Amino acid sequence: MRNALRHNQQRLGLLAVTVVFWASFAIFAQGFLSDFNLFTLLRFAAVQIVIAFGQMIALSAGQMNLSLGAIGGSVAMCAGGLMEVFGLSPFIAIPIGLALGALMGTVNGVLTVRTGINSFVITLATASVFTGLMLAITQAHSYDDLPSAFLTFSRIRVLGFPVSPLVLVMLLAAVLLWLLYNKTKLGREILAVGANSRAAAMSGIPVGATIIKTHMLSGLLAGLAGIMTAAMLADAVPRIGMDWLLPSFAIAVIGGTSISGGSVSVFGAVVGGFLVSGITNGVLLLNVSNFFVNLFLGLILLLAVSLDRIRDVVMTRLSLGARE
Amino acid sequence: MNQEATLERGRRAFSRLTEYSWAGLAAILLVLVVIMSVVSDSFLSDFNLFVIFRSVATAVLIGAAQMTVLSIGQMNLSVGGIGGLAAITSGGIMDAMGLPVWAAIGGGLACGAACGAFNGIIVAKTGINAFIVTIATASVFLGLTLGITSAQPYYNLDPGFTAFGQARLAFFPMMGFITLATLGVLAVFFYRTLVGRQILAVGGNLGAAQTAGIPVGRRIIWAHVISGLLAASAGMLWVSQLGAAQPMIGQSWLLVSFAVPIIGGVALTGGSVRIIGLLIAALIIAVIDNSLVHLGIDPIYVELLLGLFILGAVYASHVATRSGKPKRSLR
Repeated sequence: MRNALRHNQQRLGLLAVTVVFWASFAIFAQGFLSDFNLFTLLRFAAVQIVIAFGQMIALSAGQMNLSLGAIGGSVAMCAGGLMEVFGLSPFIAIPIGLALGALMGTVNGVLTVRTGINSFVITLATASVFTGLMLAITQAHSYDDLPSAFLTFSRIRVLGFPVSPLVLVMLLAAVLLWLLYNKTKLGREILAVGANSRAAAMSGIPVGATIIKTHMLSGLLAGLAGIMTAAMLADAVPRIGMDWLLPSFAIAVIGGTSISGGSVSVFGAVVGGFLVSGITNGVLLLNVSNFFVNLFLGLILLLAVSLDRIRDVVMTRLSLGARE
Repeated sequence: MNQEATLERGRRAFSRLTEYSWAGLAAILLVLVVIMSVVSDSFLSDFNLFVIFRSVATAVLIGAAQMTVLSIGQMNLSVGGIGGLAAITSGGIMDAMGLPVWAAIGGGLACGAACGAFNGIIVAKTGINAFIVTIATASVFLGLTLGITSAQPYYNLDPGFTAFGQARLAFFPMMGFITLATLGVLAVFFYRTLVGRQILAVGGNLGAAQTAGIPVGRRIIWAHVISGLLAASAGMLWVSQLGAAQPMIGQSWLLVSFAVPIIGGVALTGGSVRIIGLLIAALIIAVIDNSLVHLGIDPIYVELLLGLFILGAVYASHVATRSGKPKRSLR
């Protein structure tokens, strides 16, 4: 009961902080709510949130995925190459790309489970294997002659609102993830493995298979984010994914997903994504040198985790006091 | 009779050698070097050896920066961020402020220690996972580096400072001596001083260390400060080698920082350091990197092969530590 309360408070707190930031930018940053800025901001946020989903699902099972960006880049290049070089329609190229992402995730999962080595080390190494393979195959070319059907998808507006269909893709992914965690056996098993893998094994959960499936889904989401990025940039470039490490952890953790596994918040990741993207965008509009954006992102992540920690300590003290 | 005794002594020496955790690594290195010196004429040339040893000199320091934090069972994702900030700090002191070399080196080291202390204090005081803290501070340090320099390198450095990066004794780079001295100090620190032993104890078993009365929080901060100092040294050696304080220094260190200690046999769970393992691991990585160039392999494949190799090496060391008798640690 208290736990549920704590969770709700945490989410409401995050929502309040996000609203405050967006409202301040709307007042102080010129053009923050302009039609064009809102469109690009929401689209950017959608991609960042899907990136964070990929990390969130790994974290929820007590795993990490440092190859998220490498998978995203590989999948974007694969889909881009299939469309440009082989002339395939996006409806064929995108599923093949996503399958590649899931396959790469499965490789991570199988290596982690079979060797028993920390997923951090495995995915750090496979990140450079995946990137290396992608560069070797594509020779670091970029595919900027993509079919118009693929490009318009990120440019059109849903019902005239400044909302790209990419935002709807993100929301769809969010709903599916919410269903996974709240309505399916696999979702509950992932959380159980993340909370305590030994206890999960003793209660009959196939821990190895669950971890492999988690990595597969993480790879799939990374691939989705890669394709979304290519659509957003109108270009499949090899450097897609290279700067995903910080946002993937920052958004998931700010959203309330524990880095030690066993807890997850899909809603929190969505709100966290809007917070982080809003700040990135707003700071730029305030004419702060964009070189300092990294500094702000880092400080915000530090602040978010510290506040969480402080509230935890205060709450425990209060509840202890109440008991006495 | 005499011959037999010699043989027996040799056999015993050999079996004692295989007890060391780094014996396997040394064998791999030896095989690589023998193959390369046969395949390529220029591999053993003075200049090529100089290039290899120079990249080892910095890789060892980068790996040592990570190892120090791994030894307390934590991770430091801001090794590169600290290296970059220290690099441009020392560059800025020489270029923008026009101060002498000793001020630049002192400033760079102070910057590294301060960054490490920042990490350590946050981790120790809040109890937040070091992984998250350092991923955030890495971004803070990079932001400061880019913000201070506006992404422009400092070129006007002291000529002595940049000459040092090119200086060598036959095939051995002068900066290698700094690395060797640092390794020596680290070995003494971890094996012969109270603080060093206490850091390892904290990494080995936090609860037990606490019960034994070790000031856990202060030891965690110590480890992060040392890590910052090592990262800063590596950053400044890069500046001296490149001849300019580039703001992007450190951005490519993440993989190396973990690969060197992990291949060298340092446990991610904490409580152990490997000085000789670190050195051999860095040598292996540098020799492989260099060999790929000598064999005319497209640099585009280097990352792929390096990743595969790291995966293999991690697996091999994992199997070696899981099966077989416990190996003697270092020395």
